[in-house]
Amino acid sequence: MIYQNKMSADRKAKFSAIKHHPYFGFVIITFLMLIVQLLRVSGLDIPVALLRAFGYTMIYIIIALGFSVLLGYGGMASLGTAGFVGIGTYVVGYFTNQHEMSIFLIIIITILGAIIIGAIVGFISLRIEGMYLAIITLGLSEILNEVFKNATTITNGTNGLSLDGIVLFNDAIQVNHNTIFIAIAVIMLFMMIITLNLMKSPTGRALLAMRNSQSAAQALGVSIFKYRLLAFITSTVYALLGGVMYMTYIGFSIPSSWSLAFSLNILAAVIVGGAQSIYGIVLGTFMIFGLNLAVLQQIPLFVQNPAISVVFNGLLIIAVIMFYPGGLIRLIGSIGHQIKLKTQQWKKKRRAYIYGDDPE
Amino acid sequence: MFQTEGFWKSIILFLLALIVIYFILNVTVFKKLQNKTKAKSILLNISVVLGLLFLFFKLYTLIPDVINPPELYAQNIVNRTLYICVLALATTAIVLVFKTSNTANFAQGSIAEFGAFVAAKLIIYFVATYTNMGNTVMVLLAVLGGALVAFLISVCVDVFIIRNSKMPSVVGKQMITMGLVLVFAGSIPLIFGSIPMSIPKMLYGDNINFNLFGLDLYITQNALLALILTVVVLGTLFAALKLTKWGLGVRATASSETVASMMGVNTKVITALSWGIAGLIGGMAAVFWAPNTSSVGVGLMTSTQVNGFMAAILGGFGSFIGPLVASFIIPVLTGLLSFVVLGWENAVVYGIILVIVLFKPLGLFGKQVAKKV
Repeated sequence: MIYQNKMSADRKAKFSAIKHHPYFGFVIITFLMLIVQLLRVSGLDIPVALLRAFGYTMIYIIIALGFSVLLGYGGMASLGTAGFVGIGTYVVGYFTNQHEMSIFLIIIITILGAIIIGAIVGFISLRIEGMYLAIITLGLSEILNEVFKNATTITNGTNGLSLDGIVLFNDAIQVNHNTIFIAIAVIMLFMMIITLNLMKSPTGRALLAMRNSQSAAQALGVSIFKYRLLAFITSTVYALLGGVMYMTYIGFSIPSSWSLAFSLNILAAVIVGGAQSIYGIVLGTFMIFGLNLAVLQQIPLFVQNPAISVVFNGLLIIAVIMFYPGGLIRLIGSIGHQIKLKTQQWKKKRRAYIYGDDPE
Repeated sequence: MFQTEGFWKSIILFLLALIVIYFILNVTVFKKLQNKTKAKSILLNISVVLGLLFLFFKLYTLIPDVINPPELYAQNIVNRTLYICVLALATTAIVLVFKTSNTANFAQGSIAEFGAFVAAKLIIYFVATYTNMGNTVMVLLAVLGGALVAFLISVCVDVFIIRNSKMPSVVGKQMITMGLVLVFAGSIPLIFGSIPMSIPKMLYGDNINFNLFGLDLYITQNALLALILTVVVLGTLFAALKLTKWGLGVRATASSETVASMMGVNTKVITALSWGIAGLIGGMAAVFWAPNTSSVGVGLMTSTQVNGFMAAILGGFGSFIGPLVASFIIPVLTGLLSFVVLGWENAVVYGIILVIVLFKPLGLFGKQVAKKV
């Protein structure tokens, strides 16, 4: 009997430890994303558009995670995301179509390229600050867009580049969307874990110090040079990886996708959700991209008038920034806190009513 | 046909030479000088101006000698008059909002597009009701109508949205304007329908020939009228900034909003008026630019918006003259580069701006503002 009690207590403690583990939420999010795919594989008739919507959302979550390191922790707003994601897509397209390179090799090449690009942009960011940086990175993105349009031998110009199929080890295989969906989900989980560890590490705290006051951070021995470069490199690596995943999943890339609107949407997702919280970013990305792709496009009113959902997105961004500058995640947190307080008060009153205690 | 390779080689060599000279001077001469930073900035200015002049000169030598080269060169500059006017108006609008609200207004182009749509609707109305109305009068009235609507929208944006937002940070304000871009992009098709509308040019007459330094050039009447209107509007604006109480208020608000409000400047009215005037000139620019596209669309001002930001960065947000100079340089350079590297001209111009801004982070005409820690 005692043994059984002990075992059940142990089990409870174990469960509680799992529940309060920092990665638990990420696993749940990944699992929720995977459910749709698993239902589809098991034979349920789920529309492809819905499935794609979840795929897109996961890719955008990865890109937004990188951006949040830059904005929420480094305090630097960049509008070059679209260009970097575009580079990622074209790297996969070029090396697979023309050189039949393995996808693993391509990912390594992409990361190395991202480190170089991020370092260059980081150097630029050392000289330029604030809004100027946003506009300069916007210029950089425009330059990249022109390159995508004009370097026709690599990018196939404005017609768009389609991927023939990915190469795993030796020979090309046709893209199987279901497998890639699961792969993206796993990569998203890894990225979330890496980002959390980065945010809670000394590096993250140094970045946060730099964001709050550069001079104070410098006075305390935080090297601005090192951490700015690091923030940009991280965000560029995430963006390029996002591009790689986009290309392998969708199989088509066109310069007009990588315009200013894409960068703005990523920025909006990070701001709307809450720039310093991973759950916030997931929520924000879902609000900006996922809600539109997955939910609104299933409703006839929005299908007939796609403009309404754009207006809705815009109004959402404005309302969130006007009234909840910390993002939606902070709003949800404060509502939860209020509910907790209210229930506690109610319980206290009830106890006082039943047992005749003094409520104060 | 053109020696493109030689062009790039000489440009890069020249730039490298400038950089090397700068560093040699930096090490040898400036260390001994008393007023180090001033001498440095003068040298930087000289090298930037030299670099730009060299670029223009090099492009000049590359123009194909089918026709008289200097004539083609000058004609190319004259041909860009309309776009220079549009860009100057748009850039001034961006800088004006930046000065008073300390934010980059991404919605500038969208508000201007809204104005252009109103102008197009007005033209349809005029054509239907007043059959004997002249084309010029009609378009000018439409310009006025579109600009006024843009004025009202801009004032509303400032009064109802920017002013009421809680603790707006710089990025937050920027994000609000980005949200506005989405709102306008969505609501314009809802309000105005999807039937394509177009705005005619102001004047359709023959080209005006004129002689400048012995070169026979021509300009379209439409561009000339746009130039005159732009000069009048911008001249009035700059005079107002220098002479009127509102201008003084704008300059005071630009230096510090808190101190200005403590000194009795009604910063709210100043800011709202600045937003309104920015919307007004932006709307004008959109209606001027609209005839160049087949129909008025949602993406009408996007490239102008990006170029306007670039011009503001190149000239420096701190001054009003700098962006004007930059909005002259950018279209002319783009036009000339299209002879040499067709299709890549925007990328090259943005690259040049990037390099210049790396060496002069506050722009060509920007001034360093002391910052308190």
